[in-house]
Amino acid sequence: MGINEEPLMWVEKYRPKNLDEVIGLHDIVESLKAFMRNPKTMPHLMLTGVPGTGKTTIALAIAHELYGKNWRNFTLELNASDERGIDTVRDRIKDFSRYSRSGFGDIPFALIILDESDQMTGPAQTALRRIMEIGSRTSRFILICNQSSKIIEPIQSRCAIFRFSRVDRQAMKEHLQEIAKKEKVELQPEAAERIVEYSEGDLRHAINALQTAAAYKEGVVDEKTVSLVIGEASPIQVQKMIRKALYGDFMESRKTMYEIMGSYGFSGSEIIRQIQRELFKMSDITPEQKADLSNIIGEYDYRLTQGANSDIQLSALLAQFAKYGKDIEENYAAK
Amino acid sequence: MQRNESLWVEKYRPKKKEDIMGNEEAKELFVEWLKNKRHTKKAVLLYGPPGVGKTALVNAVANEFNYNVIEMNASDTRSEKAINLLAKPATSYTALDNFTKTKETKGNVLFLDEVDGIAGNEDRGGVNAIIKIVEKSLVPVIMAANNPEIDKLRPLKKVCLLIRFQQVRIPLVIALLQKICITENIKAEFEALERIAQNSRGDVRSAINDLQSLSEENHILTIQDTIILNSRNKDISMDDTLRGFFSAQSIAEASNLLRYSNVDYDEFILTVSDNLPKRYSNNEELSCAYDYVSQADVFRGRVGFENWHLLKYFYNSLAQAAAVNPNSYKPFTFITPPIKIITLFWTKSKRTILGNICNKIGVKCHVSQDKAKSEFVPFIKSMLDKKKAHPILAWFNFTAEEVNFLNEMKRF
Repeated sequence: MGINEEPLMWVEKYRPKNLDEVIGLHDIVESLKAFMRNPKTMPHLMLTGVPGTGKTTIALAIAHELYGKNWRNFTLELNASDERGIDTVRDRIKDFSRYSRSGFGDIPFALIILDESDQMTGPAQTALRRIMEIGSRTSRFILICNQSSKIIEPIQSRCAIFRFSRVDRQAMKEHLQEIAKKEKVELQPEAAERIVEYSEGDLRHAINALQTAAAYKEGVVDEKTVSLVIGEASPIQVQKMIRKALYGDFMESRKTMYEIMGSYGFSGSEIIRQIQRELFKMSDITPEQKADLSNIIGEYDYRLTQGANSDIQLSALLAQFAKYGKDIEENYAAK
Repeated sequence: MQRNESLWVEKYRPKKKEDIMGNEEAKELFVEWLKNKRHTKKAVLLYGPPGVGKTALVNAVANEFNYNVIEMNASDTRSEKAINLLAKPATSYTALDNFTKTKETKGNVLFLDEVDGIAGNEDRGGVNAIIKIVEKSLVPVIMAANNPEIDKLRPLKKVCLLIRFQQVRIPLVIALLQKICITENIKAEFEALERIAQNSRGDVRSAINDLQSLSEENHILTIQDTIILNSRNKDISMDDTLRGFFSAQSIAEASNLLRYSNVDYDEFILTVSDNLPKRYSNNEELSCAYDYVSQADVFRGRVGFENWHLLKYFYNSLAQAAAVNPNSYKPFTFITPPIKIITLFWTKSKRTILGNICNKIGVKCHVSQDKAKSEFVPFIKSMLDKKKAHPILAWFNFTAEEVNFLNEMKRF
């Protein structure tokens, strides 16, 4: 399997290879290009923003800009949510900097991309700060995260911070059309609209939906297909779990939770993220109720990071939902 | 084949130090001390979790180097008097000993097992007596303990060489179990042995005991046979504690109970969480009780593996969950062992395959495994539904097993 082999997932196939190819994000690209003209001046970077807005793409593009097509030899990609603990992170960084110490050509450092760095605990971040200090002569860090507020101050102050906002709807539509054109698929405007709606500014999500829809019908993507794909890809088990809880059937709801955790191995924080997302899509709950429920989710999301057992925290959350559900029923009865 | 009547833990007790699994460093340190380094520290304290070979090492090495072991353990009282009665003669009359000694024996060693079991009141002065004995002793003094952090033992640590034992690594336990199975002519599935080993948490003694009791009936041991492990290992006190806990009339009662019960609290909180909906059928009460359990879990997180003094807050929160509405208590049968443990166990192979799939996606598409799972797998599955041999399968390098898994899997 060659590295240069043509990627078949469109998210990879159409991922910009260098900064010039990146569309939108004009301000960010311009400041980064200034660093590229004199790489020695490049500080540690922190890229922060909601998912699918181009953070990883920018990080990889920087790697391309710095080291050309051999970028993989000088770049260590780590994902904090995959690595078990700070010790593995430390070891991998140590091993890496051992053999790529001197950097490449004029560039006196190697690049370490740490994705989802806000998944690290406080103590782990403190350790990371130390690692960054020790390694700063020989390597530059690009920290990627969804929320910069979850990163401890001392790390933030060591980085140049770039904030990514949601991809603009119009820009996203144009981008999808462009991909469709290159793939010789007709993307109908209503279908594009539906994808954009669904993806909530997450380009990765949008492109995945487009590619899947394109696999359904030869040469054309229409709204019906898109709706079908979205329906299939939505987390039905999570929806079922929320509904059962809100209808007061705690036992069934918890059974589903154990199934999601057990069979699919989703982490507690990922399930909470999906609960939050699915809840806001539910049309039979008023905005006020959503706000109330969201407060509950927030509380248990926090406890999850502090506690020892994510299944206990999720059970407690579902119990709160079951209690709240009674109020919803009463509201219906009142109407 | 005639089944041996004896306990396997006795039958397979290590005869030489090489028979003891794992803890190579500790073994070496101990032998080195006994042979050459006794002038540096007069006594040695072996510490570590139960069943990893501390006592076995002492007996095996003594056997190998021909020492007589004079042993006291937790079942004996250890007041100063009792210790002196046995230990003093054993440690001082070397001359007399020399007289009876044949060519082979090198004399006595005094072995005090489970010294952390010295309890405050009954064993008044016990620690001091031990220290005195160590100071005066003419023979090697060996001690063993599970938990060397107990305050009372602090003075001991000054006069002893400390040697730490760790849990025996699971593969080593499995290897030992396999050996026993061959000798005992038992056909055991590897998964079954793996499960026994994992359940023992590196406690070789309990692993051997489990193996013996599970395969007593016949010569075949399957993974199905091991499912009762959790419920059986947990002594009766778990059920008793649960019953007392859920029927408690007040927070104080529940909290007292927790303080005196010796159930594993990590397992206990999971079990409480599982049984809560059976205790409170009213969602109002249930959510209230769960809130306390959730807080208890947060305290458990803060306790971690060092801040043990925070444990009282953990108990306190948990006790509150017991007494949300004492009047509504009706007896019920408990859900044990913890659902989480059972679910995670039965679904392990599924998760492993999905994990491998997501790992491949993660590497190719620069996302975490969690993201791959939630944002790529559903789409890839849809594409597969439309086109069985979709080229992306080859691009991701999925194995036939993985492709099959994607095809068959239930959507989440």
